[in-house]
Amino acid sequence: MLFSYLKIAWKVLLRRKFFTAISLFGISFTLMILLVVYALFDFAVGPQMPEKRTDRLLFAHSMYIWGPKTENQSSASYSFLEHHIRPLRTPEKVSISTSTGTAVAYVGNQKLKLDQKYTDAEFWQVLDFDFVEGRPYSASEVRDAAHVAVLNETTARRYFGADRGILGRTLVTDEIRYQVVGVVRDVPATRDLTYADVWLPITTSTQDIHNAEYMGSCMAILLARTPQDVPAVQQEFAQAVARAPLPTDVYKWCTEVRLYAGSLLATHVRDFMGKDGPDPGVARFAQLGTGLGLLFMLLPALSLININSSRIRERSSEIGVRKAFGATSGALVRQFLIENLFLTLLGGLLGLALAAGVLHLLNTSGLIAYTEFGLNGRVFLGAVLAILFFGILSGVYPAYKMSKLQAIKALKGESTAA
Amino acid sequence: MIRHLFTLIWNRRRANFLLITEVFLAFVVLFVVGSMLVYNQQNYRTPLGFGYEQVWRLDLDPGSLPEAGRLATVRQVMTQLRALPEVVAVSRTSFNTPFSGSSNGSPVSTQDEKIVVEHASGHSVEDPLREVLELPLVAGRWFDKRDDGAALRPAVLSRALAEQLFPGQSPLGQVVDRNDEIFRIVGLVEQFRADGDLEEPRPAIFLRVNPQDTTLNEASTLLLRVRPGAGAELERRMSTGILATAKGWNVSITTLPEQRAAQLKRTLTPLVALGLVCGFLILNVALGLFGVLWQTINQRRAELGVRRALGATAGAISGQVLGELLVLTTFGLVLGLLVAAQFPLLGVFSIKASVYFTAMLLAAAGLYLLAAICALYPSQLAARIQPAVALREE
Repeated sequence: MLFSYLKIAWKVLLRRKFFTAISLFGISFTLMILLVVYALFDFAVGPQMPEKRTDRLLFAHSMYIWGPKTENQSSASYSFLEHHIRPLRTPEKVSISTSTGTAVAYVGNQKLKLDQKYTDAEFWQVLDFDFVEGRPYSASEVRDAAHVAVLNETTARRYFGADRGILGRTLVTDEIRYQVVGVVRDVPATRDLTYADVWLPITTSTQDIHNAEYMGSCMAILLARTPQDVPAVQQEFAQAVARAPLPTDVYKWCTEVRLYAGSLLATHVRDFMGKDGPDPGVARFAQLGTGLGLLFMLLPALSLININSSRIRERSSEIGVRKAFGATSGALVRQFLIENLFLTLLGGLLGLALAAGVLHLLNTSGLIAYTEFGLNGRVFLGAVLAILFFGILSGVYPAYKMSKLQAIKALKGESTAA
Repeated sequence: MIRHLFTLIWNRRRANFLLITEVFLAFVVLFVVGSMLVYNQQNYRTPLGFGYEQVWRLDLDPGSLPEAGRLATVRQVMTQLRALPEVVAVSRTSFNTPFSGSSNGSPVSTQDEKIVVEHASGHSVEDPLREVLELPLVAGRWFDKRDDGAALRPAVLSRALAEQLFPGQSPLGQVVDRNDEIFRIVGLVEQFRADGDLEEPRPAIFLRVNPQDTTLNEASTLLLRVRPGAGAELERRMSTGILATAKGWNVSITTLPEQRAAQLKRTLTPLVALGLVCGFLILNVALGLFGVLWQTINQRRAELGVRRALGATAGAISGQVLGELLVLTTFGLVLGLLVAAQFPLLGVFSIKASVYFTAMLLAAAGLYLLAAICALYPSQLAARIQPAVALREE
């Protein structure tokens, strides 16, 4: 039965090629745009190198010195994180690093702008970088403020002219000499909490562990022992922040220090939504995203409904015959829905191919540094869901309308429902 | 004739409901994109009010070095920079330099606080800044040595700010209040849009940094004008020289044209992406309308055949098809205008109402044009119907 429906659908599609082309254009471009947006989103917050264990990682990034009337927002300072977050017991490891800053290196007279990040040794243990050669710097090197550096491949190539065999060579950034100990695969700039061109020991930076100021330019990354442990870590984290003395000597109006440990998604959503409370607003963000997505699909769906309605009208005599021979309304609705799903599936496949093309274009355009956008299993699953949804959305109404036709009128070729 | 068309569409309003909804949504999309285009284009066309081509920004970060010696080191660096033959002028300024993405917004008021202008962009600067940014003065004078002994700190205002604070009077010599400090106005500039090309123009106020100032905080950034042709080689020499003088500091040099390009890219990329998506939506609507119209003509062959047989010309037939679609568009348009009118009425994004009205006009014109193009071929198809053939089919 299904097979014969599909065969009919195929014949109908071939009959009026222009309309098929219009429908396919609408479906494939709609899905392409949805897929590209979803792929970008997934690429920013999904488990990817170097944040592969997203279900165990927590990030603490934006700090709010909060008062009833005034609020200052910045990153936390190195000393605050060292004194209050480092001693936490529930997480397996705590890493502290600075936000990405820029430094300048010269190759001859050519200027290289390098994004650099100062980190501790734990940084390399909580995250999973792909080392192409060498090793991360060790805890003892960080303690001794050794001038050692880890580079990404592109920087190695641009500075030394080669991305292999450069261990032990010297990199000069901002007139300070560092010895290269490791080279990692490029981290895309969309992973903005861990991305850099050069990673250096935090003890070689200007960060001051004895500075009493709470606001600074650092962040903490915590690795929970198991995914189930995450709430416990967040709880201990919250207690530690609450225990920290209020910085009322500098900010007289301050009544609360706010700093939260959240997942990668929560951290990005918090920044995006500008939330300063315990709830990062993930639910609200999901609502917003779904709403916008539906709104965006509404127009192409309407267009498809209109075209479908007028196409089915052409087949009123076929419907009349089927009804006259005893087909129920339900059977007809099912047939048209399957036909429409078949069409959306074709459009969806086209859309996937188009999306892959657009993502490839984005990668080669260099709009965002070091991106390797691509389609993965999650994106594919999203595509299938979107296709089903779109197919049903645009197929139900015309199918329902046609199934209501009366057999006699339909056989006479009249197309408006009684 | 037009009333007749309206009646025709109105009688078939249930059948046309989906088409009208589609047109309505298309109008909303066009209106949103139109508003953004008009808004950005108006901002882009407003002059910036300064020259940025040969200007570099220099950030000096002392890190955790003690507070005491910082200003002296920066002064030393500035003397060193002025000695370079490629450098025309050097000035200290607050961190919110043009195109930097950092901004400042403080209320500025008359001394009696009767008139308050919110979100004025405040810039603490030294005297040579005028030469660095080539600021044209429209009235009064720029800061100079005469201000050294002045009782009140001098300020230079943008013309818009001065006119808002002192409508109908000369602002020169008047006193303004900003963050509980009073300043005397000595001059006016036409405009100073440090926020960038695509940002809404804001009123601006320049405050003179006192030469006797002992801390770096108020104006910690340097802007310098270099001679044409200066490039990476000078930058490298500069950075090496500065690091030798300011030991342990962090130095970063960027050029204003670079920062401007980066800022434009940041602002335009999402706009272009949105424009492409909306372009696709509109194309989708156009193809849909075209397809439905074509189908409808095929189904109405008998009706149109009768009209031809009763003496209607080919022109009258194609006119009817076109007219019907335009009337349908008008229904969608009226719905869309009801929604669009809420934006200026409620003042949702605090954008000038004129932007919305221009966008509405553009969107309406665009929609009618779209409808006309979609109807072109189907209307010709309808006009070519031969009454003899069409009536025999029945």
